[in-house]
Order: sequence, then structure tokens, then C-alpha cells
Amino acid sequence: MMTYIVFILSVIFVVSFVGFSSKPSPIYGGLVLIVSGGVGCGIIMNFGGSFLGLMVFLIYLGGMLVVFGYTTAMATEQYPEVWVSNTTVMGVFLLGLLMEVMLVLYVLKSEEVGVVFKFSGVGDWAIYDTGDSGVFSEEIMGVAALYSYGAWVVIVTGWSLLVGVLVVLEVTRGD
Amino acid sequence: MNPLIFTTILMTVLLGTMIVMMSSHWLMIWIGFEMNLLAIIPILMKKYNPRTMEASTKYFLTQATASMLLMMAIIINLMHSGQWTITKVFNPTASIIMTSALAMKLGLTPFHFWVPEVTQGISLTSGLILLTWQKLAPMSILYQISPSINLNILLTMAVLSILVGGWGGLNQTQLRKIMAYSSIAHMGWMTAVLVYNPTLTMLNMLIYIMMTLTMFMLFIHSSSTTMLSLSHTWNKTPLTTTLILITLLSMGGLPPLSGFMPKWMIIQELTKNSSIILPTLMAIMALLNLYFYMRLTYSTSLTMFPSTNNMKMKWQFETKRITLLPPLIVMSSLLLPLTPMLSILD
Repeated sequence: MMTYIVFILSVIFVVSFVGFSSKPSPIYGGLVLIVSGGVGCGIIMNFGGSFLGLMVFLIYLGGMLVVFGYTTAMATEQYPEVWVSNTTVMGVFLLGLLMEVMLVLYVLKSEEVGVVFKFSGVGDWAIYDTGDSGVFSEEIMGVAALYSYGAWVVIVTGWSLLVGVLVVLEVTRGD
Repeated sequence: MNPLIFTTILMTVLLGTMIVMMSSHWLMIWIGFEMNLLAIIPILMKKYNPRTMEASTKYFLTQATASMLLMMAIIINLMHSGQWTITKVFNPTASIIMTSALAMKLGLTPFHFWVPEVTQGISLTSGLILLTWQKLAPMSILYQISPSINLNILLTMAVLSILVGGWGGLNQTQLRKIMAYSSIAHMGWMTAVLVYNPTLTMLNMLIYIMMTLTMFMLFIHSSSTTMLSLSHTWNKTPLTTTLILITLLSMGGLPPLSGFMPKWMIIQELTKNSSIILPTLMAIMALLNLYFYMRLTYSTSLTMFPSTNNMKMKWQFETKRITLLPPLIVMSSLLLPLTPMLSILD
């Protein structure tokens, strides 16, 4: 099982995305986002990116999702919608689950899957250590490159976040 | 809105488009599109009534969907070519998805449904920015990937856009919806020639922006958003009725005016590539556009409908002074003799 761990984690990832895309109340969407965040962190860690996985947990789950949870709890209604309370929500959730199960069976059974890109069965999901990443971990070098070669990206994303705050304040200001 | 905040947000709209036009990395292009979208939402919502909020929401949803499709096409391109630079798109699936995404951003058929509704719900100045500046970024990306676009899909979308733009504008009396349908039709003309000679796409874009700027500024000058209100401009500034006449006929593509230049060049380029039926159809469908422009000129400049004396005065606040209006009017009507200069282009 450990060789196919990325495949299993990605299946759980997609199932949790289906869980919040079927639009239950935001509180339950946040619950499923926690699961998908944790699973995404697991996927990144399996590729050697321990720093980025920790970043997901700390900043995304521990910062942004906590604030989201608090604001949603302030704005919630008396009987929030769960997946089983509304026929539409349950129908969409089951449809998404069904499509994912069919895709997983297709991947497991057949030799080669060629939907948009070809990969040959489950074996393609196992991680091989090619070993030529040298002395340094690739992922830390990527983070370092963001602040050296990618200074323009940092400037642009920083400016976008600032303008994002201004835009949200402007939109919710009313008259 | 606080002037400092408004300036910052407007500059971010400009910055977003600039980033899209000058980047060579697909991710930066996507970031530029998102920055542009994020910053234009409060500009669309300048007045806080439910119509503008509904229009901004519709705009946001369609453009965000288009950005998601663009991201998927970028990732498929990455998987098949292993690199992020924009030269050409290396996979037909990625090319089709990217063309659909950019067509959604431009408002080509079958993704044109948001254009009239969004344009109608916002103020005239916001509509001006929406229909001119926002078309620059997707068109620049289409220009850059033009060698690898699937011809059938693009030509189908272009011809259908010209048809929908002409046909849909026939029953409109609201000026902003008329301009929206005119925008759909012009985008169709621009994308029809994109695969054959992308320089003409840029020429058409330039002249379309000049004419649309002129029309919107004339509407802002007379503070009119309906055909009925526009037909009272003879009372206020009789000169603008003549200018509206000239600019509208130029938009319709009539010969001695500069709006004829892009249509002429596009038809010539298409016939050079041995397609005869397509430009014939396009020229015939442009007549539908000309019909509703002519109806606008008929009610504005050519006739004065009988009305009672108290209806003749037009109520409005102080006339806004629009600085760029005279040069724009001159450029959108008198550029046709400069056509031989096109030979210096690539």
C-alpha cells in the first residue's frame, strides 16, 4: 500500500473536493477543506516537500481556515444544510462519488489510461527517487529561488494581496 | 469612492493588463488576468444599487470560469511540453481549451450571454472601460498563440459572433446594450482573420477601440442611456448630432470613413486565402449591424419627432467636459486615406 500512497491520497483529495463542491452549508465545507488540506499536505510530503507541507498546515489550515471558520460561525443559520438533509446536495455528492469510483476502477483495471494524458496504470503514481537531486533538497531550492530569481513574482503577488484587501473593503462598504 | 483608493484600483487594472501583455511565463499571464479581474470589480460597482452588484457578480463568475479553463490549458500544455514559455501551444486539447477560455473572456459566441447584461447594469464610464480596455489582454494572448489555434473552432465562433452581434442588437433601445452587441460583432470580425494575418486583428482592435471610445464619450457628453434620450440632443448641442451620425456610420463600416478600413483589409486577406463564402457571409451579416446604427442616426440626427413643447427641453446636470473627444472623433472618421501606410506593418 505504501507504494501507492499518493494514489490513495489523491482519491481522498478528490472525494473531499466533491464534498464541498456539492454545496452544503459553509461550516461543513470548511470541515471538508480541513481534510483536503491535510491530505494535500500528505501528497506534497511524499514528493519530498516537507517545508511546503508544513506551510499548508500552519498558514492555510491554522491561519486562513481558522479565520474562515470563525466568520462562518458568526454568520451561520439555525439549521445549516448537511449532505443528507437536502436531496439536491446528496444527489450531487453521490454523483461525484460515483464518477470518482468509476475512474478509480478504470485506472486499476486497465493497463493504460489515456484521458487527456497517458499514464500506464497505478504504477505511474508511485514515486521513484531518481537520486540526481544532488546535495540540496529541490523544494527548499525552489523556495530560495522565489526570493532571488522570482522577485518579480513576489512583488506582483504582494501587490495583488494589498489590492485584494482594498477591493474587498470597497465592495462591502455599501453606500 | 476615496480618490486615492480609486486611483490605486484603476492603476491595478492597468497593471494587470500590462502584466498579461508583457509576460513570457504562463503563470504570470494567469496572475495578470486575475489581478485585472479582481481590481475591476469595484470599478463596475461604483454606484451601490442591486443592478450594478448583479452585473459585477455575473462578470466575476464568467471571467473566473474562463481563468480556470485557462489554467487547465496551461497545465495540460506543461504536461506535454515540459516548459512554461509562451511560444506556441504544444497540444491540440490544450489549444482548444485555451481558445474557449479566451473566447469566454472576450465575449465571443457561444459565450456572449454576459456581455449585454453586464454592460447594461453598469454606468456609462464603467461600460467604456469594460468594452475597450478589457478586450486588450485576451486579444494579446490570442495573438501570441495564433499559430497553434484550431481554425475550425475559431472561425465558427467568429461567424456566429458576427451573426449574434448583428441579430441580437436589432430589438434594442438601450444604448449600452447596443454597444455590447456591437462589441460582440466586432470581436467576431477580429478573430476571423486571426489565423490568417494577426496584424489585421490588431488593426481592427485599434480602430474598434477608437470608435467605441468616441461613441461612449458622446453618450456621456449628452448623459443619455436610451435611444429616446439620445434623440433629444438636437436641443442641447446640435453639433453632436452630426458627430453621432458620422461615428455611427463609421462603426457600421461605410466607405469614406475609417471604419471601412479594417473590414476591407479583413475581406481582402480572407479572399487571398481562397475562402470566398466566408467573407461574403460576414459582409452580409455586418448589414444587420448597420441597420441598428442607422436607426440610431435616424432618430438622433435625421429627424425630429413631433413632441409637445415641454418635452423638448432636455434635463441634465452640467455638461461634462471630455478632453479627448475632438481628436477621437477625427480619428474615428478620417483615417481611411492612410490605408497605404499599412504596407509598413509586418
